[in-house]
Amino acid sequence: MTPLLGRSLILLALLSATTGALVGFATGARPTVLSSTWTRRLAFAFAGFMTAANVLMLEALLSHDFSVSYVAQVGSRAVPTWVSFVSLWSSLEGSILFWGLVLSVYIAAAAWFNRDSHPEYMPYATAVWLACGAFFSFLLAGPAQPFQTMSPVPSDGPGPNPLLQNHVLMAIHPPFLYSGYVGMTIPFGLACAALLTGHLGHGFIRPLRTWLMVPWIFLTCAIVLGGWWAYEVLGWGGYWAWDPVENASLLPWLTATAAVHSALLMERKGILKGWTVTLVVASFLLTILGTFMTRSGVFNSVHSFTQSPIGPTILGFLTAALLFSVALLSLRVDTLTSEGRLEGVPSRDGLFLVNNLLFVLLTFTVLVGTCFPLVVEALRGVRMSVGRPYFDAMAVPIGAALLFLMGVGPALPWGRATPEQTRRALVPPLAGAAVVAAIGFAAGARNPWTLVTLAFGGYTAWVTLAEVWLPLRQRMRSHGEGPLQALAESSLGRGRRRFGAYVVHAGATVVIVAIAVSSTMGTSKEMKLRTGESAAIRGYTLTFLRTEQRDEPHRQSMVALVSVTRDGKDIGTMAPRMNQYDRQREPVGTPDVKTFLFEDLYLSILNLDADGGTLSLHALVNPMVAWIWAATALMALGGIVAVVPRRERGVAPARAAAPAAGLGAAVGRQ
Amino acid sequence: MNRRVLGAGLAVSLPLIVILFANLGRDPHSVESPLIGRPAPPFSLEPVDPGPAVSLESLKGRPVVLNFWATWCIPCVEEHEALASAARRLGDGARFYGIVYEDEAAPVRRFLEERGQAYPSLLDADGKAAIAYGVYGVPETYFIDAQGTIVAKFVGPLDPPTLDAYLALARGEKR
Repeated sequence: MTPLLGRSLILLALLSATTGALVGFATGARPTVLSSTWTRRLAFAFAGFMTAANVLMLEALLSHDFSVSYVAQVGSRAVPTWVSFVSLWSSLEGSILFWGLVLSVYIAAAAWFNRDSHPEYMPYATAVWLACGAFFSFLLAGPAQPFQTMSPVPSDGPGPNPLLQNHVLMAIHPPFLYSGYVGMTIPFGLACAALLTGHLGHGFIRPLRTWLMVPWIFLTCAIVLGGWWAYEVLGWGGYWAWDPVENASLLPWLTATAAVHSALLMERKGILKGWTVTLVVASFLLTILGTFMTRSGVFNSVHSFTQSPIGPTILGFLTAALLFSVALLSLRVDTLTSEGRLEGVPSRDGLFLVNNLLFVLLTFTVLVGTCFPLVVEALRGVRMSVGRPYFDAMAVPIGAALLFLMGVGPALPWGRATPEQTRRALVPPLAGAAVVAAIGFAAGARNPWTLVTLAFGGYTAWVTLAEVWLPLRQRMRSHGEGPLQALAESSLGRGRRRFGAYVVHAGATVVIVAIAVSSTMGTSKEMKLRTGESAAIRGYTLTFLRTEQRDEPHRQSMVALVSVTRDGKDIGTMAPRMNQYDRQREPVGTPDVKTFLFEDLYLSILNLDADGGTLSLHALVNPMVAWIWAATALMALGGIVAVVPRRERGVAPARAAAPAAGLGAAVGRQ
Repeated sequence: MNRRVLGAGLAVSLPLIVILFANLGRDPHSVESPLIGRPAPPFSLEPVDPGPAVSLESLKGRPVVLNFWATWCIPCVEEHEALASAARRLGDGARFYGIVYEDEAAPVRRFLEERGQAYPSLLDADGKAAIAYGVYGVPETYFIDAQGTIVAKFVGPLDPPTLDAYLALARGEKR
């Protein structure tokens, strides 16, 4: 019964998406109020059916309804409830179903928020969204059916991949990643609508930017959560390996970040319209490429889904989307005329352009490195991989340059700057550069790139803090506000977009510096310890106490208990473990990480002999890794501040509220 | 029509599409087995049903099909019928053995009672045979010719035409 109902919902979603896309394109070409309304209604219908299908699947997973093929494939009575829940996206068919859910929520939200605005663009945009929705519904109806009927009904299932059960981050990372990936469909639809209608008015830049920022925030978090998961689960002590699937999530982030910046220039000066639209389109295409990378089995990665029959179908969609985009751009991009002109390089405008070129260069670098093994194998039949050295050699200088630009750009004024202005803007932050580089040198940084990054980081931090501080000081002087109130006003009031952007910059600065420090200034040591023996690593003394066996319904774990002291002071016991899952031959290790303010102590079991008496341990001291996680949260927060719309001035409730707020503030001061 | 945009777009898109299509269907996890063309690693394993141990030595002179499988593996269940019917059809033309991978005797016996048993399955309790053959996961099937040389390895569930093609190879027939 459930499988039949599920299949029906998928077919209804497919039907409403297809019809909606057709009606939408027709409406875009020849707009009427009635057909616009129907386009929107069909979008809501698609969202409703897709959501219902997901709810049905979740219900089947939680109630262990093994008559549904997907549940039979990933479900298990032995796993905890949260694992049953996240099984929704733990395997191929479910992940596509979940993709459909996220897409339908995005479409419904974007259609709802713009129901009364942009009538000339919305039918085309909705049509493009629904065309994507139709494709994913088609996948669910054909090549990747989650709702097949099992006969006979099995009594139990194998449970999801053990690596996915190993850490709770696996419950958080995929939804973020999907919200980032799938969300790029919305700005893509808006960009296509601009191209199809042949204009991109000033009023339409705001929704484009907002709907670009939302998935950007999710994708930022997702990339770092993925790194965090790798760090906490995989046990090799790092968080980024330039793995194809990691690259797949980075690529659209790079182009989207470039687009967020060029959109700003477009908004201010009416220039770079075609370029911004191209970046938005590219971000979407790269998410589809990423989907192909993870699901085709063509790329070798720890993250990829196993061999699947949907690779060719996704590649067909990618090909169609690429050709459609190239055709649309080359036919229509000239209709988006510029309203201004670009200033030369020694201005904020010019540096925006340099920023964009660097982001695009980095995108190409990563794309080429990711695809190069495929070229070699296709031409010469030799299997090879492009490793860290290539990516690091390219990404480190570009990353450092972007960090520097993040300082120089905002320091310079808009438009043409006089040499005097330039000097006054660019010289003082050198103090920040000197201070941070000196601190790094004192802490032992000797790698030239690390020192360069620290100096650039100090420079950018100076500029960023100054850009946040100056308006605050002005407010405090002119309005007589305290620092906290001024901060609240600028983060929620008129300057919030600007304020949010600088918070993102502050977070990004810390992330880049922390990556440079953690990847060059760590210590790593392999040690072999018998019970009771100790070894030292950078001020820490590790003593292997004993081994404990812990049994859980779905796994058995061997836990090595290691007591840790620093400078003779006891700082607790750490417990790296080896987990043996049912039906999995190789045990899966889980490292243990202890985080201090400036560094992590990271212990991972290499080998634990059968009687548990001898432990081979990989111990690492990783500086500043936790700063990456924290600073990413800051970036996300800044993004949210920048994107949440300010109350419109002139709208009645806001006007009514203003005197009251003023009164409240006055009362508060007394 | 902006020819520069068209040119740049195609210059990026077309090679990408061609490369991706050229690589479709390859399996990055399949590492060419170094055993192909070499003598099959010897083993001596107890059958699931009571009986004397079976060694590879004793099987020489006829082509051998070794199928590593488990009851918990759904593709193994899928290919069971294809293997069983080929074994019945060929009779003495080839010897089929299942080698049980990471599984217990009791569920295997139950499974074979339900689904029919056309050839014996052997227990590989400590996984030595699986390690010797370099089994990565199940199902994996090794085809050994009458001289005891591994001629092919197949990863994943076998369907009847594929199985016939590999059997012909093991029996030294022209395809």
